[in-house]
Amino acid sequence: MSVTIATDSLFNSEERDGLRLLVGMIIPASQTYTLPGADDERIFADILDSARANEVQIRNSLAYGVENGLGAKVSAAELCSRLEGQPVMAPLVSLVMQCYYRDDRVMLALEMEPRPPFPNGYDVPQGDWSMLDAVQKRGKIWRDV
Amino acid sequence: MTEDVDFSPADVLIIGAGASGATAAWNLAETKMRIVCLEQGGWTNPSDYPTTGRDWESRAQSDFSINPNRRQQPGDYPVNDDDSPIKIANFNGVGGGTVLYAGHYPRFHPSDFKVKSLDGVGDDWPLSYDDLEPFYAENDRITGVSGLAGDPAYPAKQSLMPPLPMGKSGQKLAEGFNQLGWHWWPSDSAIATQPYNGRDQCINLGACIYGCAQGAKASTDITYWPEAIRAGVELRTNCRVKAINVGDDGLASGVTYFDEEGVEQFQPAHVVIMACNGVGTPRILLNSVSDQFPDGLANSSGLVGKNLMLHPYASIQGVFADALDGYRGPHDSIWSQEFYETGEERDFVRGFTYETTRGRGAVATALTGVHSGRIPWGEGHHHAYRKLFNRIAGMVAICEDLPEEHNTVTLDPNLRDAHGIPAPKMTYSISDNSQKMLDFAVARASETLLAAGAEDLIIESPLAAGGWHLMGTARMGVNPQKSVVNEWGRSHDVKNLFVVDGSIFVTSAGVNPTRTIQTLALYITDQMKKRLTQLFD
Repeated sequence: MSVTIATDSLFNSEERDGLRLLVGMIIPASQTYTLPGADDERIFADILDSARANEVQIRNSLAYGVENGLGAKVSAAELCSRLEGQPVMAPLVSLVMQCYYRDDRVMLALEMEPRPPFPNGYDVPQGDWSMLDAVQKRGKIWRDV
Repeated sequence: MTEDVDFSPADVLIIGAGASGATAAWNLAETKMRIVCLEQGGWTNPSDYPTTGRDWESRAQSDFSINPNRRQQPGDYPVNDDDSPIKIANFNGVGGGTVLYAGHYPRFHPSDFKVKSLDGVGDDWPLSYDDLEPFYAENDRITGVSGLAGDPAYPAKQSLMPPLPMGKSGQKLAEGFNQLGWHWWPSDSAIATQPYNGRDQCINLGACIYGCAQGAKASTDITYWPEAIRAGVELRTNCRVKAINVGDDGLASGVTYFDEEGVEQFQPAHVVIMACNGVGTPRILLNSVSDQFPDGLANSSGLVGKNLMLHPYASIQGVFADALDGYRGPHDSIWSQEFYETGEERDFVRGFTYETTRGRGAVATALTGVHSGRIPWGEGHHHAYRKLFNRIAGMVAICEDLPEEHNTVTLDPNLRDAHGIPAPKMTYSISDNSQKMLDFAVARASETLLAAGAEDLIIESPLAAGGWHLMGTARMGVNPQKSVVNEWGRSHDVKNLFVVDGSIFVTSAGVNPTRTIQTLALYITDQMKKRLTQLFD
C-alpha cells in the first residue's frame, strides 16, 4: 500500500484531523490486545488513500460528524452515541474496517498470515465422513415421478 | 480492429459467452459450421482476481462486486432493481455468472420437472429428468464435478472427484443435522478437488464468488471456451448486442451490435442463439421491435420478460464458541435437502435446499458484526470482534420460486446503458408461498444451529443481495400461447431463433440453476444437430 503524503491527500489539514478523530473513535487502540487504533499513522494513511473511490460519501460522513459535535466540546461517548448506527456513517465505517483488518499487525494478532490468499491458499481438514452413516441408514428421500 | 472482422454471414450467432453460451458453442463446434459468439464483456486474467492481493475484501465491494450497479465495469449495464426486494447479481464477461458463482452445483430432481402434476402449481416442463440425464453426465465431464455418490436425495449419479473437505464448519453443522435426524450430504461442486483436465485442485482460497485465481473452480472461460475456440468458434469480446434484426420472411437475419470501438455493426447470421440470462435475454428481445414484432421479438405470447423467478434466499448464521474454518475454504461444504420435496403437513408447497457456509473473511466479519449491532464502536470493539472472528458458520436456504406473471423484466423508460440501449427493470415481489417457505426455513435452520451449539444467530431473510439466479422470462413449453420457446429451445414465432439460458426455465426448483442451464444448452444444441436439415420446419 502506498503512503499518502500531505500534498497528495484529498482532504485538507482540518478534514484529515476530523477524520482521524472519527476513525480513532470507531476502532481505538487496545492495550489488552496490543493493537493500534484505526488512527494509527500507517492505517490512517491507508484509509486516506483508499477514500478516493468513495470521496463524496466519506465527505458526507465527515460532515455529519461535524454537524453532531466532532471537534466541539462533546465527549467521545456522547459523539459515539450520536453517530453510531447512522446510515450516513456506513461508508466511513466500511472503509475503516477494510483498511484496519488488512494491516499486518492486526492480521498477525488474529493469527493470520499477512499475505494474499493466493498462491499459498490454506488448509482445511477433511472432517469425519463416518458421520454420514446415520444419513445413509434413512435411505431415499427424493420423490418418484 | 474493424477491418479485421469478417462480417460475412455466420451460420450460427451466439449472444453471450457465459454458462450457456460457452456450452452451446462447444457442442455445435463439431458441425464445422461458422459459429460466432458476441460477448459484451471481456476476458478476465486470473492474476487480476482479488485473491491475488491484500485488498481482496475491498475489491469484493468495488470492481469485483457481484452487483453490476456497484461494479460498473465496461462490460456492465445498469439494471433498475428498485422495485425488487432482491437485488441483481451477475457478471458480464467471458464465463458470465460462472466467474463469480460459488460453484454450488446441484442437479434438478425428477419431481422438479412435474410441478403441476405433482403439486398443482406452476407448470410441467415439456421434458423430464431422464431426458436430460445423459446431458447432465456430459456436462459434468467437461466441467469437473466433485462430490460423493450415494446422496439419498437424488437418483444415482456418478461423482468424478472426491468432495470438498467438510472442515470444522461443515462438521459442526453436520452434528446439528445428525442430532435432529435430518438429511445432509457433501455438496456437488464445480470445484476440482484433484488435478482435472489441466486445471489444478482447490487450495481453499476462501473467496470463490470473487473469481478463482487458482483455476480450480469451473468457470466456462477455462472449461468449455478453450476447446470451443480450438475447434474454430470465433469469440468477439467487448461487443454489445443492441437488437436482433428480422427479415421480410420473419426469420432472424442477424444482430446489430456495438463493437469494441463503439461503432455500430451488423453481423448477419442464419441462426441466432440467445444466452444472455433471465434479464439480458428478455431485454434484447424487448428491444428488438419491428413491424412484424411490435411487442418485441418472439413475443406473440406476451410472455417475454414475464414469470421472472429469482430464488428467494434466507441466510441463517450461527456464532459458535469454537474456532471454525472462517476465511479458509470454498463457500461450498455440505448441503441438506431434508425439506426439498413438498411436505403435506406444511403450509406451503415445494421446498428448498440448505447450502452451508463456512465463514467469512476478516473484513466481512467486522462488517457483519457492526451492521448487526454485535460489534460496537470504541473500547468494546476488539473483544466483540474476537467473539465473531472464525466463529461464524451457517447456511442459506434456496427457496423454490413459483412462476408468476406479475414478476417481470421490462425496459426501463429512462435508464440506458453506455451505448444508449434501454436498460432492464426488474419488478418482483415475494409470494405468500415463498414467504411461508422462507419463514419455515429460518426456523428449521435455527433449530439446526442451536442443536450444533450456536450461541447466537444472525438472520437475514430475504437475502437482499441474492439476485444471482435469473430465470423464467422466455419460458419453454409446447403451447405457443403459454410459452416463448418450444421443448427444444426454438422460438415458437421465429424459427431460427433459440434460447439456451435460464430464461427458458418453466419452474425454478429449489437448487442453483447453472448445472441445469448448461445441461439444457447441451440438450438443445444436440436437438439442433439432429434436426439440421429441417431446423426451420
